Amino acid sequence: MAVRHLNVEVRREPDIAVLDLVGEINGFAEEALNAAYAEAEAEDPKTILLNFEDVDYINSTGIALIVGLLARARATHRRLLACNLSEHYVEIFNITRLSDFMSVFPDEESAVAEASVS
Amino acid sequence: MTDPNPARTDANLRRTLADFSVPSEPGKERLAMETVAEAVKVLDISGENLERLKTAVAEATMNAMEHGNKYEAELPVEIQVLVMDRDLIVRITDRGSGPPPPEEGDTPDLAAKLEGMQTPRGWGLFLIKSMVDEMNVTGDEGHHTVELVVHLGSEGGK
Repeated sequence: MAVRHLNVEVRREPDIAVLDLVGEINGFAEEALNAAYAEAEAEDPKTILLNFEDVDYINSTGIALIVGLLARARATHRRLLACNLSEHYVEIFNITRLSDFMSVFPDEESAVAEASVS
Repeated sequence: MTDPNPARTDANLRRTLADFSVPSEPGKERLAMETVAEAVKVLDISGENLERLKTAVAEATMNAMEHGNKYEAELPVEIQVLVMDRDLIVRITDRGSGPPPPEEGDTPDLAAKLEGMQTPRGWGLFLIKSMVDEMNVTGDEGHHTVELVVHLGSEGGK
């Protein structure tokens, strides 16, 4: 089974920058994830949304990368949100307490709606 | 001496579903978890419990590759998938001989990690323990084995 290296596309919406994540979030994903985050924050959005719709695997190293992004967001007073996680990874976000520090939404629409009113 | 757990040693109650190895290369943990998932298809494990098992297998295999085999590709991580009595058991063995991981106090402190007081890493063992009913560690001078146990049945798995 070949590793599906992470690709990230950055979209800019009116109140939010969206990172469309495609592939696996593991140790191989560090460079792509950090580069995309840097691109997203270059225009100083108040909120950055991680869209996990096309992510089918996150391991403990990937969790650490997400913790790193969350720390960066908090240090710059930016909100980091997540959407389209599978049921299993919602559970993992809950037990790791990531969901205590970054709101998790079932889809992009609800995340964008939340970002636009806050 | 009386065996304290005779069910575990009764060959009549033991069934091997898979016995394979993967090289100690980053990313090969996915091969391990998908092979285990295929092997346990014969069991009635619900979708969410199967996802938990897969995560535990992947994390334990990563630990074996990294800490036990130091990512030396020629050193295999050996994986056995067994059913014993009413338990599904996955044994993951590397060539390390280090001490077993700490049993207590290993819940990561996310707030401390976000404040930069701890490394962002250190989630693997916590995830393994959270995903299965039991985790046991054994070893000798040349081998180190992590045993993942899922109690089968309608409530099997955490």
